[in-house]
Formats: sequence, C-alpha cells, structure tokens
Amino acid sequence: MTAHVSAKSGFGWDTGAAASWSVILWLLWIALLAAGLYGVALRFTYGHQLAGYGSYVPWGLWIGLYFLAIGMSGGAFVLGAVGYILDLPGFGKRSELRLAIVLSVAALIPAFIGVALDLGHTWRLFSILTSPTFTSMMAFNAWMYNIFLVVAAVCWLLSFARDSLWLKPLLVLGAFMSVLFPSQSGVFFEAVRTNDFWHSPILSVLFLASAIALGGAGLLLVRALIGPERGGEEVEAETARSLNLLRIVVIVAIVVYEVFEFAEYSIAFWSPGAHSPNVVFLLFGDYWPVFWLLHILLGVIVPLVLLLTASKGLWALGAFLAVVGFAAARMTVLVPGQIAGQIPGLQAAFQDVRLAYHYSPTAMEYLVGCFMVAVGTALLYVGIKLNRLLAQRAGLSV
Amino acid sequence: MTESKKRMDRREFVLAAGLVGAGTAVGVAAIVKDRLKTEPIDPTGEGTVRNLSVLKNIKPQEHEDFLVRMQRELVAAMAKPVEKRHWIMVIDIRKCIGCFACTIGCVAENKLPPGVVYRPVTTQEIGEFPNIQIRFVPRPCMHCNTPSCVAVCPVKATWKRPDGVVVIDYDKCIGCRYCLNACPYGARTSDFGRYYSSDAAEGARTGKDRPVEGRTLPWQHEPNNEYAKNWDRKDHSSPVGNARKCHFCLHRLEVGQLPMCVTTCIGRATYFGDENDPNSLVVELKTKNNVQTLIPHWGNQPQCFYIV
Repeated sequence: MTAHVSAKSGFGWDTGAAASWSVILWLLWIALLAAGLYGVALRFTYGHQLAGYGSYVPWGLWIGLYFLAIGMSGGAFVLGAVGYILDLPGFGKRSELRLAIVLSVAALIPAFIGVALDLGHTWRLFSILTSPTFTSMMAFNAWMYNIFLVVAAVCWLLSFARDSLWLKPLLVLGAFMSVLFPSQSGVFFEAVRTNDFWHSPILSVLFLASAIALGGAGLLLVRALIGPERGGEEVEAETARSLNLLRIVVIVAIVVYEVFEFAEYSIAFWSPGAHSPNVVFLLFGDYWPVFWLLHILLGVIVPLVLLLTASKGLWALGAFLAVVGFAAARMTVLVPGQIAGQIPGLQAAFQDVRLAYHYSPTAMEYLVGCFMVAVGTALLYVGIKLNRLLAQRAGLSV
Repeated sequence: MTESKKRMDRREFVLAAGLVGAGTAVGVAAIVKDRLKTEPIDPTGEGTVRNLSVLKNIKPQEHEDFLVRMQRELVAAMAKPVEKRHWIMVIDIRKCIGCFACTIGCVAENKLPPGVVYRPVTTQEIGEFPNIQIRFVPRPCMHCNTPSCVAVCPVKATWKRPDGVVVIDYDKCIGCRYCLNACPYGARTSDFGRYYSSDAAEGARTGKDRPVEGRTLPWQHEPNNEYAKNWDRKDHSSPVGNARKCHFCLHRLEVGQLPMCVTTCIGRATYFGDENDPNSLVVELKTKNNVQTLIPHWGNQPQCFYIV
C-alpha cells in the first residue's frame, strides 16, 4: 500500500516504478488479510485447539509478535516526539510528528489483537482494566498502553492546531511512557523470578534498544513507501538528512542490542549455571536456525551491511529485514525460557501434546500473525490518509 | 502556514515536568497500594466453621488406619474458623510405588480433560546398573506460602486462602497463562477445551458397529464440582480457557472427606492435615529430619513436604 506517490521519491524511484510497487503492495496486503481472516475464523471456530502452545510452553508466536509491535510502537513515538521537540532534521515538522504517532498507534492496536486472541477468555480482556492487580506487570503494562493511546491521540489532534501550549508537554509525557513500556516488556519476563533464563535485568535494556531500532526501522520503511513531501531541492535534502539520521539510529540501536545480548549469553558459558540448558538450546539446540539464521544473519548482519551502503533503497530493505530479525529475536527470548522444566521427568509423567517442553508455531498461528500485520498496515494507511486530509482542511503543510 | 520552530519554553517545560511527575506518582501509588497486605478475599470467622458428623459415632482406636486418623483430624480442623487451619501435604516417596492411582483418582474426581493434570507422578531413575534406583515423586500444587503464581495474575483471579490453599476463580481468570510460566513446579495447566473423544474416529453411524454412546461420549460433558460449584464446560465455558491446578480437593474438605489423592494412595504414602494442630499426623511427619521440599532455593516456601 502506498499512501502517496511522488514524482520521484527520496529513494530514487520514478513514478512508474512507484506505481508498480503500489500494485504489488496492495496485492500483498489483500493476500495477508485473506489469510489472516481465515486464521481468525479458525481461532474462533476451534478455540486454541489448533495452536502449538500448551501448558508447559504457554506462550507462542502471538506473544512474540505482541512484544515486537509494542517495541515498534514505543520506538516510533519516542523518536518522533524527541525529534520534534529538539527540531532534528526530518522530524521538526508537524507532518513528520503525525507520521510517527500514526505508526506508533498502528503498531499498538495489532499487539492488542494478538494478546486478545491468545487469551483463554478473549472477552475478559477488559477485566485487566476494570479489576487490575498492579503487582502484575501485565496489568501495569495494559494500563500504560491505554493511557499512552489516549496521550498519543491527544497529541495527534493537537498537532493540527495552529498553536497549542499542551502539545510539547504531552509529547514529553508520551515519550516518557514510550521509553517505559518497551522496557517494561523486558520486566514482564524478568518478573518471573523462578525462571533463570528470564530473570535478568538486562532484558529491559535489550527490549528498549530493540524498540528504538524497531521505531527507527519502521519510520525509515514508511518514509520509503510514501516518499518525501513535494517540494524543491531543500525538501529533498532535508528528507535525505532525516533518512540518514534514522539509518544511524537503527545501526546504533542494533549494535547496542547485540553488545548486551552477547553479554547476556556469553556469561552462561564463562560460568555455567541453571539457565545454561536454555542458552545451549537457543544457540546450538533446536532453536539455532532461529537465532543464527533469522536473528543474527538476516536480522543483524544483512541489515547492518545494507544500512552502511549509500543506497537509500537498500536502507529500506535493511530496515525491513531488521524488523523481521527482531521478530525472531523476540522468539529467542520467549521460547527458550519455556523449554526447560525444573521438575525432572515431568514431561513424561503425564502424556499429552499440551504437556511437552516443545513449541513450533502452527499454520493457524502464522495466519493470525498475518492478520495482525494486515490490520497494522491498514491502520497505518488510513492514518496517513487522515493526516493529509485533516492537515489540508486545517490549512497546514501535509 | 509556517510552523513555530522554537524549542520548549518555560511554561511548556513546567507542564511537561508536572505531567511526568504526576504520572510517576500515580504509577508508584498504584503499585504500592496493591503490594500492601489486604483483607482476605474469602470469608473468615465463625461463619466458616463446619461441625461435621463424619466418624462421630466411631470411637478412636489404637493403631487405626492412617486414613481414619487423618479424616478425624480433618473433621476437628474443620470445626475451627478457616483462618485457624493451615493445610499441608506430606508425601513419603519411600513408600510411593508409582501406581498412579492418585493421578487417576484426581482426574476422575475433578473430571479433568486431556492435557490437564493436577497430580502427575514423575519417575526418576538414579544411578547406573547395578547401582540403580527408581524414585517416584508425585507433584501436586505446592500451595506455597509465597506463591510466585499469585503476584503475576493481572486480575486477582488467584490468591492464597487463609487456610493456605492457593485457589483460582474460574469466573475471573482471563486465561493469560502468566501463572503457568511463573510456577517453577509446572503445577498449573491450561484447559484448552479438548475432550477425550476430540481425536477419536467417527465410527459407524448405524448397525452393530455403531459406538454405544456415539462419538460425543456424554460422560465427559458432565460438570465437575471444584470449589463446591457446578462447572459446566459446555460452549467453552469456564474452566475451558482457564488455568487449572490442584486445590487440595476443597470441595471434599468441606464435607469432611480427605483429598482424592490421599484416599486413593494404596501405599499410604500421601498424608494430609492441619499444620496448626500440633498433634496431627502431618506435623508428626513433617518434623522428621529426612523431610525436604522441592527446589526450595526459589523461596516459594512450598507446603508440600517430601519424606526421602
């Protein structure tokens, strides 16, 4: 989907190429939506019976995608808000701020869908808001997201006003929350004090760094798709500067993530402890392709190489691969933390497919994942259209 | 329209600081409030006393069966308000022969569907031939004094009762499965709504080969009586979708019966009783020096003790 096709984008595409891309992206989106709707129909027809998770590995793909989307949401908002307040190149305009807010919200809503479909009682989701216990990081996060949604919505509305005293203060509050809730995604796992693999304070740092990378990659990708604003050489130069800034943000965030990830996993080998089996499973066991091929190769090395080139088109590809890589990275935190039981022989004690320390996403889970992506991209598209429409009505630059 | 490029002025800065400060204060207050000890959710006091007539007409005898003694102690404990009791379980793994009668008894009592188990018995092989031993370790819910499953529940659907039993409110549980991940003992399982006949063949529709009860097997749709309520799983109602776990058969305790796993244990390896009764069998057993708990280093203070 492309919201707007410029005569020549910042990535050097001419009108014809952009139109072709537009058709391809529309077809892709329709396929994603159709597959996703089928998945959702399966989920509601058969409940959780077609899912691959069970009682010993209770969380699967949807929870991984949920934390991925949360990261992108927080990262996009904090970059957009901080960039706008500090008037950084490519971020200082209201239209650029609105784009970041729209991306942030468009990432957050599918996350809610993923977690709602994962619940045993989907319609009781709202109990978290009506009768929460704030001893649980899940309840704290749920409230945080909802307050953030309100703050983001108000910021978005205020961005159409000619002059508002409240815009920047609310952006600061939103940015504060956008730093907190991706970090709290790490705490969500850290708070499980009885799990050696998860109970590590470094997870908060990993989740925050990945959020910044995801937000930067998301913005870079969206700007690649919609192209720069119409204007002269000055506008094109500013667009180029903003893309360069986003590229640097993504590179630095990925490197920071990798440094902390190395610190986390290497310690298990210097001093093998209780969580070493999980690390061995991740690095050399059944999960090695997810870690080494999807996360490290496809999600770190290839994106870094692409982002270090001079081609803006390759930057977009790098940003896309970084997002895919962080989806795999989420699974490398989620799944290995659940595959090693602490009671010897428990898996064999009572036989059932749901009582196994093993997890592979099923077709139904992937299809619902497609639905989450389709909803997110549709929201992004509608948001971008709305941005332009309302800005034109208000007589603002689009 | 040209946009203002100026950075934050003093008023905006003060407003921003106020919003962030107020947000932080509200967040901290919410956490602190829920961390403070609150009044028990369950009723307490005289209203919880049960004057049961079980074994009333049978005089205590010397060397009577442990089951009779424990049931007598159970009736005495039920005559106290709930907050004066503290249920514990003691399992003598030297006596456990791995017959799985407790597992099956529990499944039957609570009408557990496939994939839901409250009391599996693990088999551990120790050593190598010829110095080899097989050890059977039943694993009910530990009903920890500091349960890691309770704090993570986002909706107050699980808590520790005044008598020490950790329970789940099936009507509140949203099925997020956070508690499943938080329990180091793997004592919680999720009810995914399966039936024993889910994967069964349809069978002949007519004729002598037609299954007597059909594929639906009506018995598996019978409601269970956990927590002394009638839970009908029809139409994906609770407990389908919920976290489930051992509750020391609270519904049986209420009428003076021992938990099912205790009564079905043919080796008399499982003991149950009130820790607050200094003369009870469980206190007698628990104070032996060969008693251990499972993975005690997590600090959960499990209330299921193993004699090894």
